[in-house]
Amino acid sequence: MSSYYLAAAGGGGNLFLIPNATFFVELVIFLIVLAVVWRYAVPPVKRGMDERREMVRRQIEESQQASKRLAEAEDRYSKALAEARVEAAKIRETARADAQDIKDEMRHQAEQEVARIRERGEEQLAHQREQIVREMRSELGNLAVTLAGRIVGESVADDARRAGTVDRFLDELHGMAASDSSSGDTGGPSNSSADSAGDGVVTARNGRRRR
Amino acid sequence: MTSELFAAAEGGNVQVGEHPQWHILGMTINADTVISTAIAALIVVAFALYLARTATGKVPSRLQLIFETVTEQVERQVESNLGIRTAPFVVPLAITLFFFILIANWLAVLPHAWEEYIRPPTADVNLTFAMAIFVMILVWITGIRVKGRHYFKHFVEPYPVLLPLNLVEELTKPITLSLRLFGNILAGTVMVSVLALMPAAIQWLPTSAWKLFDLFIGLLQALIFALLTILYFAFAAAPQEEEGAH
Repeated sequence: MSSYYLAAAGGGGNLFLIPNATFFVELVIFLIVLAVVWRYAVPPVKRGMDERREMVRRQIEESQQASKRLAEAEDRYSKALAEARVEAAKIRETARADAQDIKDEMRHQAEQEVARIRERGEEQLAHQREQIVREMRSELGNLAVTLAGRIVGESVADDARRAGTVDRFLDELHGMAASDSSSGDTGGPSNSSADSAGDGVVTARNGRRRR
Repeated sequence: MTSELFAAAEGGNVQVGEHPQWHILGMTINADTVISTAIAALIVVAFALYLARTATGKVPSRLQLIFETVTEQVERQVESNLGIRTAPFVVPLAITLFFFILIANWLAVLPHAWEEYIRPPTADVNLTFAMAIFVMILVWITGIRVKGRHYFKHFVEPYPVLLPLNLVEELTKPITLSLRLFGNILAGTVMVSVLALMPAAIQWLPTSAWKLFDLFIGLLQALIFALLTILYFAFAAAPQEEEGAH
């Protein structure tokens, strides 16, 4: 080992602060390292840094744009929502009005219907009553004449007198019926009178058969 | 303590500034320095070539992140001190100096037994002088190129009487730059040698503690060398007159 230490072997202190030829070797090595780093390492790394910086910048820009678009979309959405609410309220209002109209109309129709049915019923009743009265008028006339003839025992030959008597009787009868109908309900008296008239007829027929 | 150290040194256990040497064509070359410099250079070159192949603008590797951090810091320093446009080559120069010196300094963590052949090359003035003189010559060239004749004006400012002092100051710049680095790293290796005199049973503790601290010193010295390089360029070539502070 000591064979290496020439300076030390020279006695005294060694001059390790004085550079020797190693200086040039060191300089060359350092220059090689400098060239390699400068030429090969720095440019791609700087390019990478620039790319990343550019990417970050672009991403920030994009995110700003995106948030702007989001704000716009939210604005549009709330506007559309408000419009839709107004529209819905309008539709609801219209529907309510329509419903009211339809209800009114239907009530009106129903009332008209009721009135018409009642009217027709009354007409029918009046018609039936008239018919019955007419039937009874002819039937009762004959019956009464027959009955009266038997009871009186005289033939009523005189047509004119007979007709007068019958008519008077019928008028009285009619007057009775009219007073009845005005006091009671419409159908009752005429029906009962018709029934009683029917009964009368049956009785008369029975009586005739019995004889 | 001092006398003990000297005693140990005379006993042949602690050698300071002694190198195994080669003699080629009448030149004396420190073999260990060249070998360890070459190793540090290989590491940095491999690192650089790896980066050249893998550097990406997308997801960077950890090595790329380290390199980018240093690059960013260097660019910021250069930009704020003299402006990148004034001397764009200062950036790769400072980056190279930082990484090369850092790796060279960190060779000190290799086990003590290897120290005979691979010691931190920055513990030899040859490397530190080479780098410092290269840097200062570039500084002077840049100053003259950027400012022309006005560059020499600062030697007679603020008073012409101070010309000799200014000249000395300028000439000591490469010397202080190199010797600061050299002294710190050499002291680290000497410290390890001294610690090696302790009994083997206990020396591992202070040695490992010291080597950890030596890592920090290595980082700090690399940082200082690169930063001072930028500042010297700034003093020489900054557009406006900077206040020289030492």
